[in-house]
Amino acid sequence: MATAAQFHKIVAFYDAHRRMPSYQEIMSLVRFRSKDSVFKLVNRLIDQGRIKKDKTGRLLPTRYFFAIPWLGSVVAGYPNPAEEELLDPISLEEFLVKNKESTYMLNVTGDSMIDAGIMPGDIVLVERREEAKHGEIVVAEVDGEWTLKRLCKRGRKVTLEAANKNYPPIEPKNELRIAAVVCSLIRKY
Amino acid sequence: MNRPLTIAHFPRAILHVDADAFFAAVEQSRNPSLKGKPVITGKERGIVSSMSYEAKARGVTRAMRLHEVRKLCPDAVFLSSDYETYSLLSMRMFAIVRRFTPDVEEYSIDECFADITGMQRALQGSYEKIAERMKQTLDRELGFTFSLGLGPNKVIAKIGSKWKKPSGLTCIPGWEIHRYLAELSVDKLWGIGAQTAAYLAKHRVFTALEFARKPESWIRRYLTKPFVELWQELQGDSVLVLETCPKESYQSIQKFKIFSPPSQDRGFVFAQLSKNIENACMKARRYHLAAGGATCLLRTQDFRNTGLELRFTRPTAFSHEVIRALRPIFDELFHSNDFYRSTGVVLFNLKCDDIIQLTLFDPPVQIDKYQRVYRAVDDLRRRYGKHTVFLGSSFDAHAFTQHVGERGDAPERKSLLLKGETARKRLGLPMFLGTVK
Repeated sequence: MATAAQFHKIVAFYDAHRRMPSYQEIMSLVRFRSKDSVFKLVNRLIDQGRIKKDKTGRLLPTRYFFAIPWLGSVVAGYPNPAEEELLDPISLEEFLVKNKESTYMLNVTGDSMIDAGIMPGDIVLVERREEAKHGEIVVAEVDGEWTLKRLCKRGRKVTLEAANKNYPPIEPKNELRIAAVVCSLIRKY
Repeated sequence: MNRPLTIAHFPRAILHVDADAFFAAVEQSRNPSLKGKPVITGKERGIVSSMSYEAKARGVTRAMRLHEVRKLCPDAVFLSSDYETYSLLSMRMFAIVRRFTPDVEEYSIDECFADITGMQRALQGSYEKIAERMKQTLDRELGFTFSLGLGPNKVIAKIGSKWKKPSGLTCIPGWEIHRYLAELSVDKLWGIGAQTAAYLAKHRVFTALEFARKPESWIRRYLTKPFVELWQELQGDSVLVLETCPKESYQSIQKFKIFSPPSQDRGFVFAQLSKNIENACMKARRYHLAAGGATCLLRTQDFRNTGLELRFTRPTAFSHEVIRALRPIFDELFHSNDFYRSTGVVLFNLKCDDIIQLTLFDPPVQIDKYQRVYRAVDDLRRRYGKHTVFLGSSFDAHAFTQHVGERGDAPERKSLLLKGETARKRLGLPMFLGTVK
């Protein structure tokens, strides 16, 4: 029996009992005659990241344990690329959005960030946050309007700099209110 | 009088989370030009549905008509409700609360209860600290403020969240309940309205504490079961459980829609009613329910209501059957010299639609045919939009926009279609509005 088939038996056991089988149980599941072979199988699966052990040595499922189709092990030579791809695909949304609850869209209208590659008509995804680091592109509130600029911190001095030489840097007179930080950019053609 | 009602601290720890001026706050948080201004949503309804604290300070109240608001504060900003964004933000609010505990009751679009009993170790902090952290997370990630109340049960938690608004956090342990109740008039309690408060006043019960100090036998003798539960919660017991499952069934389904300008055209008003019936029936079919009866309601321009109720011979969720049954009732209610501003329908006596007893005169073959027709209609609507197919009797309601003139203004997000979006299919992310420099 190939490792894949043995693995599926363990998954089926988990689905039926909502827990991982013991070594004894794996032994009868996969019809091994010694626990040593079970130990070897377990180590193989741990190497592949499909299961793990807790401190006491009991087995635990990992995130790759669930619902990932496994095409079987590769015999020799090159790894099967399709199998690699299937391991843990994320959606485009997961890729672009880090914290779903605090992410907003903003339609870019001006050309002040054009040298940073942000063009009018682009959509930026921003994360609501009041603190930002030096160099991050932020959405700040200036005179009742949003402004999209790069945050520059030099010592105590904080300025908002455009990525377009036609725009002078903005030095906030009172306090600077950052509403969000840009985390991705979307442009559709 | 200073005797505590209970000496327990938090036998259970229930949080009530309430967004401050939710709709108006959402609008202000995504458009800085609205900050500090009296913002009012509900333009399309002609009445205030939510107002910012700036507007509240000027005396604007909920359900006030817009022309009255204009007199009170001429600089008010009126916005059409953008329910799409509000529900996105509402879902985010619940998602954030669920980071702390799985036991969350979504009480309304901007309110929820959360049970954090026993979570101190898992979340590394006292109940008060957990509440504080939850408030900070909500405020920071959503961009507007929330009021939280912590108490040993739902009623006390709700008193807490109302105690200091906006942006308050009030923790009421069991042994301090009486201090809060002493300062609260009885009609401020959850579930006690003007009628009950007037009745209690006749028994010389004016404050919430006086109500809580009455013996249970007194409450049982003079009031009904919901008030007994309220009384028990005021003693610090937790009797109202959190409903953590989303609604899967309904007692009744109602659909009301306002249109403007008000109309005295019989055909047009009936088309509005017909559209409401179609929407209500569609919802009933989605939950596999059939109605045993329906109420038809009409509201005139000067806010007078008329309505009549009807029972069907057999439960149904077929729009055409309900419309045919309600037509004579409508003709009875409708007076051609009145102007109407809204119509509505309530479906009640809902039953599961697969156990329907046919009457002697129902042709089963025909019913089976209609079932197939409506299944097809529902499929079409799911795929191409709610109003892809509708009955001829609703035509006039679909042919015109719901509101003519200024009130017909769509919310700003609706006019901002991104490339690849359609009027119905849009990205599920809220958008910052206003000008971007």
